[in-house]
Amino acid sequence: MAYEKVDAVIVGAGASGSVFAYVLARAGKKVVILDNGPDWQLTDLISSDIWGRRVKPAGAPVLLGGKNPFAYTYQAGWGVGGAALHYFANFPRYLPSDFKIKSEHNRAHDWPIAYENLAPFYDKVAADVGVSGDAKAEEKWRPAGAPYPMPPMKTFPNGEAWLKGAETNGIHFVPAAVGMTSTEFKGRPACIYDGWCHVGCPIGALANPVVTYLGEARKAGAEVRALCTATRVLSNQDGTRVTGVEYYDANKQRQVQEASVVILAAWSAQNPRLLLNSATDKHPKGLANSSELVGKFMMVHHIAGTWALFDEDLTPHMGTVGAQFMSYDRYAKTSYPGAFGSSFIVAGAAMKTNDYAAARADLFGPELAAFMKRAARGITRITFFGEELPQLENRVELASDKDEFGMPLAQLIHSFDDDALRLWNANFEQGMNVAKATTATAAWPGKPPFVPTAHLHGGAIMGKGPENSVTNSYGQTHEIANLWMAGPCIFPTEGASNPTYTIFAVSLRGAEHLAQNWGSVAG
Amino acid sequence: MDNFERRAFIKGAALGTLVFMVDGAKLMLTPREARAQGVPLRTLTAEQAATLDSVGETLVPGAKEAGITNFVDQQISIPAEQSLLQARILNVRPPFANFYRAAIGAVDQASNKAKSQKFAELTPDEQHEFVDLMRQNKLDGWQGPPGPFVYTVLRSDAVDVVYATMDGYATLGVPYMPHIAPTKRW
Repeated sequence: MAYEKVDAVIVGAGASGSVFAYVLARAGKKVVILDNGPDWQLTDLISSDIWGRRVKPAGAPVLLGGKNPFAYTYQAGWGVGGAALHYFANFPRYLPSDFKIKSEHNRAHDWPIAYENLAPFYDKVAADVGVSGDAKAEEKWRPAGAPYPMPPMKTFPNGEAWLKGAETNGIHFVPAAVGMTSTEFKGRPACIYDGWCHVGCPIGALANPVVTYLGEARKAGAEVRALCTATRVLSNQDGTRVTGVEYYDANKQRQVQEASVVILAAWSAQNPRLLLNSATDKHPKGLANSSELVGKFMMVHHIAGTWALFDEDLTPHMGTVGAQFMSYDRYAKTSYPGAFGSSFIVAGAAMKTNDYAAARADLFGPELAAFMKRAARGITRITFFGEELPQLENRVELASDKDEFGMPLAQLIHSFDDDALRLWNANFEQGMNVAKATTATAAWPGKPPFVPTAHLHGGAIMGKGPENSVTNSYGQTHEIANLWMAGPCIFPTEGASNPTYTIFAVSLRGAEHLAQNWGSVAG
Repeated sequence: MDNFERRAFIKGAALGTLVFMVDGAKLMLTPREARAQGVPLRTLTAEQAATLDSVGETLVPGAKEAGITNFVDQQISIPAEQSLLQARILNVRPPFANFYRAAIGAVDQASNKAKSQKFAELTPDEQHEFVDLMRQNKLDGWQGPPGPFVYTVLRSDAVDVVYATMDGYATLGVPYMPHIAPTKRW
């Protein structure tokens, strides 16, 4: 079956792809979105840690290497909605300092835009998808903006237990900004705080793409093709334009979708894989890769979680899996002597029984059974997300192993440098100091033999020119005007904030620019 | 998901059951029920099942009766993209059966070397000591997936069948609070 040429084909129906589909479809463009997983509906989102694994990655694996491999499978997505189908929906912004590390510290990269360029899009996204929080309270750390459309979420003892200890250590918590409904919002009901966000929220209280941008895009005519695996971006003979995407459909048949514009909005490890696998004689190193920066500067957040047990009943199972409280009081790049990078702090997350067991992974047998009983009443955690700076050596490359369609697998090689490891250790020390200043009866660092990680960024970073970047600030590749990249793959640095709010904002800025300049881009 | 597939999925999830093959017929059972009814294993051998039962029980008391072996056997007998195993989250490369065969084999091989007996034949104290050494990667002559990783994966399976079920929540006194309510306690 041959498909008609469309205006835009988007690879990936997650957070960033949904935004591009929403903007372009509403601008009257014919849009097709390809996703390699199922077309999940809200009714598929079973409240169970076991059944929730259905929406986690499947299919061709990403091979992991380096000293600190990125354990991606818990938080990455598979299927329509992507990782944002089951994300925690913490919505902290990046701060102005994140956009100018090079200027202020002579390290890493500056973004080609400033916070002020993105601020209006943070406010637009909040109004579009619904954010609950206290903007005034967090403006002690950032420039003023619009108030959030909903008041903060409820808090619970498992979050409140940290407040005194944090204040004692100079860490001021404010209500966390989250992409959830504290009140009814645009027909979506208010959250009921049952703590199943991480396996997907079937009532739509959590702002996943299915109930926000992707839902609106579909209403505007965007077509979603599920179980369709993109394998190559196709280009014309002289290599000046891309012409569409080759993919394998649900019946494992090869298809080609021609389009005037191609937008790669898959996961950050998959976007470079596609570009590298699309090499031609005109682009022998892969598309948009004359700089040889495709797949480079992969970054992740390191996680330092400190656990504590209280005698009081903290109702650990209640709340949301995102945070109740957040703080930027260790966000300054030089917050800790001898370490470098931002840290973002959250407290108060609903936990389920698998979390209790994970809190003491060394325990088994009768000791584990006894611990589970205590944890069911009194366990909680404070979590520090830490920044690492981009390094050329942290990269995605094509492996010799291939998937079922003959496409080389992605190999993700990642190691932390000493700065990142010092910051990770400093955050554990800080977390323990906070815990000791609470009424907890026991506290311990959640420090396994490996460095826990989250949030993959990089691989096609934005910049001012092709000599040091793959795309411009909108996601348009420097080399091929109608080839665009979307998502955290274009972030040149990662800050320490959970990235999805910024993914939405950067994507909305890029998509609106594309729609406004369609004629010059699409040809 | 297409409507038919979704209906089947919802039905299974709502009941907390999995599809087990009995005399050529498909039955929807919980792992605990499958064990109690003696549902034949599809992938694991009897010897492997005995080892997995024993390791599971050592890791989390109650795992054997809760059907850890039937749960794992059923899950490694279906396509990996349908699997509900924690192995999927722990980045085990499919097919998952390969990992479980290697892990169980490594346990018995190391047990034989250390105690001249298979793991299931050790005393409970010996089993506890063995698992503690496996967890710390201190078993001499271990051959197979790294011992600490085997510990992590099998412990996760045991936690699943004992504590991640509705019955497990009830034993801990934790309200389950589902959006989509199971009608059985699994």
